[in-house]
Parts: sequence; structure tokens; C-alpha cells
Amino acid sequence: MIESVLRPFSTLGVRFLALLEELGRAATLFAAAFRSLRNAGVWFPNLLPEMARIGVASVPIALFIATFTGIVMSLQASYTLTGAIPVYFVGTLVGKTMILELGPVLTALTLAGRVGANISAELGTMRVTEQVDALETLAYDPLAYLVVPRILAAVLMFPIVVLLAMTIGIASGWVTALQLLDMSSPEFVKGLRLFFDPWDVWFAVIKSVSFGAIVTGVGCYCGLRTEGGAEGVGRSATRTVVVASMLILCLDAFWAAVLL
Amino acid sequence: MGIHLREVRKSFGPRDVLRGFTLRVTDGETAAIVGPSGSGKSVLLKHVVGLLTPDSGSVTVDGAAVPELKGRALVRLRRRIGYVFQFAALFDSMTVAENVGMGLRRMPGWDRRRIRARTEDCLALVELAGMGDRYPAQLSGGQRKRAGLARAIAPSPRYLLYDEPTTGLDPVTTAVIDRLILRMRDELGVTGLVVTHDMTSAFRVADRITMLHEGKARFTGTPAEVRAAADPVLRGFVEGNPDLYFGAGRARSEDRAER
Amino acid sequence: MDRRREALVGFVVLLGIAVAVVGTIWLQGGWRRSMVELTAASASVGQLVPGASVRFRGVAVGRVEEVRLAPGGDAVLVDLSVDPGLALPENAAVLVAPESLFGDWQAEILNRADFPQGEFLDYPQEGVLPGTALPDFSRLTATADEIARNLTVISERFEIAFTEETALNLKNAIDNIGEISNGLNEMIAQQAERFEDLSRGVNASAEELGAAARSARISFERVDSMIAGFDVGGIMANAEASAENVRALTEDMNASLEEIRSAAATADSAFGRFNALMASAEDGDGSLGRLLGDPALADNAAEAIEQMRALLADIQENPKKYLSLSIF
Repeated sequence: MIESVLRPFSTLGVRFLALLEELGRAATLFAAAFRSLRNAGVWFPNLLPEMARIGVASVPIALFIATFTGIVMSLQASYTLTGAIPVYFVGTLVGKTMILELGPVLTALTLAGRVGANISAELGTMRVTEQVDALETLAYDPLAYLVVPRILAAVLMFPIVVLLAMTIGIASGWVTALQLLDMSSPEFVKGLRLFFDPWDVWFAVIKSVSFGAIVTGVGCYCGLRTEGGAEGVGRSATRTVVVASMLILCLDAFWAAVLL
Repeated sequence: MGIHLREVRKSFGPRDVLRGFTLRVTDGETAAIVGPSGSGKSVLLKHVVGLLTPDSGSVTVDGAAVPELKGRALVRLRRRIGYVFQFAALFDSMTVAENVGMGLRRMPGWDRRRIRARTEDCLALVELAGMGDRYPAQLSGGQRKRAGLARAIAPSPRYLLYDEPTTGLDPVTTAVIDRLILRMRDELGVTGLVVTHDMTSAFRVADRITMLHEGKARFTGTPAEVRAAADPVLRGFVEGNPDLYFGAGRARSEDRAER
Repeated sequence: MDRRREALVGFVVLLGIAVAVVGTIWLQGGWRRSMVELTAASASVGQLVPGASVRFRGVAVGRVEEVRLAPGGDAVLVDLSVDPGLALPENAAVLVAPESLFGDWQAEILNRADFPQGEFLDYPQEGVLPGTALPDFSRLTATADEIARNLTVISERFEIAFTEETALNLKNAIDNIGEISNGLNEMIAQQAERFEDLSRGVNASAEELGAAARSARISFERVDSMIAGFDVGGIMANAEASAENVRALTEDMNASLEEIRSAAATADSAFGRFNALMASAEDGDGSLGRLLGDPALADNAAEAIEQMRALLADIQENPKKYLSLSIF
């Protein structure tokens, strides 16, 4: 009787403790990764290939998404802003939302799938096939060799990808406004410039940096914690996408509260 | 100096894998640890290179306590030990040659040319000459094992740890690998520790054989002593007789339960 | 590591940075030429923000760099960067005002004389332009709203006061005024006649008195010759003086009568004009006439007047209540 009453509580307690344990492990991993920054000789040669893989290779998908986001933003803005609101506000809305929110967040969510899952699956496979152990036996620090270059590459490249995505998104919104909404370029640009603040771009850069760290960090963590063969690798990849997406949105809210 | 494990205990959650395992491998010999799958043989090997730390007991290599080593000392130790993984654990993203050269790249005094020369030597030693440009996925199981061995010996280690070197291989390839292990001992003077459940292979390569059973060293002796041993568990395992093996094991567990 | 990948990474990084930098500069409003810095002081700045445009004669000539509180907090200092080619007008001042209803505020450089109603703040520092801000649009709406409410109250009161009865009373009152003025006319005419008779009588009696005095003198001269040593001369001189006095009096009275007559005539013409006005009013000419001729409105005119008077008194007593009216 008492058992059945207590069970939900104990389940909750166990879950909570497990969560704390997980957080602790993640913190330990990242602290160790931070210490591994010293081993520049290990991670530096891997940095550029990772920048190419994580950053450059992500540009097409990010631009694709930004293009359609820009089109949709432009059309929806003109649909919403009717009546007394001047038409150039379409430019304002497209610019502001692309720079402040959709550029960084949509790109990060996409890359959580593309980059995060990729890293998780890759490191997971390396873990279950003992390649991570092999690295260690060859006297490599796996954190310096695998984790540091990936996180650094993402931290460096995410802002670049996001900046390109923002630009393309605004450009596609502009073209949409010209072609489909009968706006003129000066009108759109007027709206675009109306509330523009260079700080917005910095805000986006700061956000992208943190999103890059989150996506690759979660990917590395889940990947290195993989257990149980191919199935475990799949689980890790899924977990990475879910956790990274959630963290991205939480962090997004956090930055909005702190920096705006 | 050699490898010395004393009263090593290790558990993963509720599962006690090692329950006070003791083993000494002296320089120049090749020791084999035999036991069924899942008995903790790989766990044992990982303790020797510091991939795992024991819950209690000591692990020393060349007199240095492995669990206490950190940083450069650990790196130095690991360069003295080559580890041949069960499924070779080659890095998929690199060619075989890059895999073999991996352990050399960060060693002082090794430039690209010297690494290439050494890589070719090692590949030739494991009879994979000319395969350096292939990727692991393009190799057969036996070739992969040999590539893994080449990678382990490239930094000229004093110790080689083999994790199931012949598992999943056909008898001929098994024989090739066994011969390689012997060559390592005889030509390079490497001290070997082979973990295997393949008794044929164990008898072929080992100077001494230790039976790992229920987390402890149940029996240690030369191949001849093993063949002559009367211990039912060891005999059951060597002869592949489950009734004997499990019967004795069960009796033993019941024994303990009663006590 | 192959060169092409390195080059690609470098290219993408540079492209991203270049796009960000160029885009930011472009969105901020073009390349920053070497601008001239100006500072203006104002009591408030509404919703002026950095980046807002600076205009001169309607042309954008620069942008607002910074909006900050003056040390002490009793003014707002606005830093502007403007085209170096801009020649500031005489008595240059800065007017901060919304460019449109939608948020974009701007700073306009103008001659202070062009906007005399502005309360420009003169900041006690060399080189700081005086400035003022138009009230925020929301404040204007609030005021307009109050005015509208006051107008509603007034029109309501007017409606309550101005009924048919009011108009009727008003008409009666005007009729009464007509009657009174007629009576007054008549009275003045009568009085004038009476005055005339009186003066005529006085004149006649004075002449008679003179004749009597003359005949008396003759008879007295005869008596004098008869009675020597009798002071008849003194008596006669007295009589003559009194006759003189009477004449003077008569003349005075005549003069004053003239004045009364002309005053009466003026009053008469005034009342006549008033009567004519009333007559035309009753005919229904002009708006007032229409008002009074309409029986529906002719009620309670007196009460309306009273109400209006009360309203006026109220305004005089509580001018603040109605002060906002002066804004329109």
C-alpha cells in the first residue's frame, strides 16, 4: 500500500538523480575538454577539416532554409500588416526576425540534426568499435583529438553560416517583396534600415556561438557515452538532436532575456 | 619488470567482473588468459593500459602503478604498450597507412618520411605490404586484424596486448596471426599478453596460460600443465565440455551460497 | 590536408565576415563619410534613438549618434553627425519630432525663428545647439481626446438649455424691450414739449418783466422828478439785476433743453435700429432670426441665457477646466 503510494515519488527521485548525474558527467567532460585545449598539437591539425565538415558543408542546407524562411516571412508580413501599417514594415519584419531569431535559431536547429547527429553517430561508432580506446592506447587524448576540434570548429563556423543564412534570408525576402508584393526596393530598404541596430548582428553572433557549442557539445557527449552497438549509436544520434534542440530553444530564451 | 596485476577488483554497477584477479607477466614471455566470452578478459587488458581503473588492487607495468599515472607519464607508458583490439578498431576515416602511422605522429623526432618508412616496414611485417592506401572498410577481417597489429607495433612497444586476436577468423588466418604473435616475441623481444577463448591459439602462442573464471585466476600453468590439469572447470573449457564446465561451476556457486 | 579544402574554409569564413561587415554598414545607412559632430540639448527627446536621421530643409544630412542625459540630468544631449558640407542656418536649433505616425523620429536642423512656438532649451555650454521636442503623438491624442470630451459637455449643456420655452421668453423679452423703448420715446417727446413750453413761458414772463421794468423805470423817473432825494435809483438797479438773472437762467435752460433733445434723438435712433433688428428677426432673416422664428427652439430662451451665463461664470471660475480649449 505504502509502496504503491511512494512509487511515483521514488521514480521521480531516481529520474532527478539520474539527470543530476548526467549533468555532472557532462560538466566533467567539458571541463576535461577545456583542459585539453592545452594539447594544441593534437587538436589543431583536426580543426580545419572539422571547420570544412561542420561549417562549409552546412552552408548549402542553411542557405536553403534561410531562402524559404525569407520568402515566407515576407509574404506573411504583408498578409499580417494591413490597414494603417505602412507597407515598408515588411522590410522591418523580415530583417529583424531574420537577424534576431530565425537566422540563428533555424540554422542551429537544422545543424543540430545535420552536425549534432553526425558527430554523435560518428563518435558513437568510434566508441562501440573501440576506436576511442584505440586512440587512447596510441597516447592520444580523445578529448583533444575528437571533442575540442569539433566544438571549436562549430564555435568558429556557426556564426559564419548564420551570417550567410541571414543575408540570404533577407535577400530572398526582398526579392519576394519586389516580385510578389509590389513593393519597391527603396520601401523595403527603408523598412530594413528603420530599426536596424548593429547590436542585433552581435546578438546573432553570440547566439550562434553558443548554439555551435551546444550542438557539438551535446553531440560529442552523447557520442562518447554510446553503449550497445548500432542500436546504441542510433539512440545517441536521436538523443543528440532532441537534447540539442531543446537546449537551443532554452538558450535562445536565455539570451533574449539577458542581452535584449 | 613486466606486468603485474594484484587482487584487482572491478565491478560495473551490480555486476562484479573482476573479484581479486592476480597475474604476473615477466619480460620476454607471452602469457595467455583464457576464459569464456563475457568473463572480463578485455576488462582485464584495459586495466593494463589505464583505460579502466580498478576499484581495488594494483596494476603495475615496469614498476609504475598504472591507475596513478597522469599526463606525460601515462603517455610514456602507453607508448611502451601496444594494444591489438578485438575488431582491430581501425580508424575508418583513415587509410591503413595513416592508421599505422597514427601512434608515431606525435612522437618526437618522427618526420613524415620516417613515419612512412616505418609504416611500410610494419605493414610488410604483417604481410600487408602495398595495402597502405586502402581504407579499413576495403579489408577482410584477417587483414584488418593484421593492420591493427601493425598499428600496435609501429611505435616499437615493449609490451603487446592482444584482445581476442583470432576470434572470427578461419583456421588458416588464425595460424597466420599466431605465427605473427610468436614472431613479435622472438624477433622483436616483445612481452605479450593474449586474451582469447580459442584454446588452439592459446596453446600455440602462450608460454603460460591463465584461466579466468568468475573474476579470479583459477589456474595458471604452461600449456603442458594445462593439458594435464584435473580441474573440472579448466578441463571443461579446454575440451569444450559444457556439462563438465557448468556442472563444476554450479557446484561451486552452490558451495559458496551455502557457506 | 589538401589545399582545396583549406581554401574553401578560408573563403567561406572571409565571405561570412565580409557579408556581415558590409551588410551592417549598409543597413546603418551607407559608408560613414567623415562627418561633422554636432550636439544639441533638449528638455526631452520623445522617442529619438541613435540611428535616426538628421534633416535640414527636409533633406537627410546625417544621423543621430547618441542620445544621453546631460550631467545632472536636467537636459538630454543629442549627438549628431552631419554632412561636413552643411552650412548651419542662422540661430541654428534642433527640432526633435516624429517623421511619421510610426515611430521614426528625426532631428531637424532649422532656424530658431522658423519655429517661434518651440520652447528651445539653451544649454549653458559652448557649441551646443538649443533644441526642443514636439510632444509625443500619444500626448497629442490625449489632449485631443480631452478637448473632444469638453466639447461634448458644452454641446450637451447647450442642448439641455435651449428649448422652445427659452426661445419664446427671449422673444417676449425682446418685445418688451420694444415696448419700453416706445414708451421711453413718447415720454421723452412729452418731456421735451413740456420743457419747451416752460422755457417759452419763462421767456415771455422775462420779456414781460423787462417791459414792466422799463415802464416802471419810466414811471419811477417820473416819480423821481417828483420826489427828490428819494433813493429810487438803487431800487431800479436791483430790479434790473434781477431781470438780468432771470434772462440768464432762461438761456441756460434753453441750452440744456437742446442737449436733452439731441440725447433723446440718439436714444430714439438706437431703439429704432433695435426695433428694426427685432422686426427682421421676427421676419425670419439671418440665423438668429431662424432660431427665434422656429417655435421648436423658442422655448426657455431665458433659461438658456441663464445657463450660458452660468457656464461663462464656471469658465471664469475654473479656467483650467476649459483651458485646453485654447490649444485648438
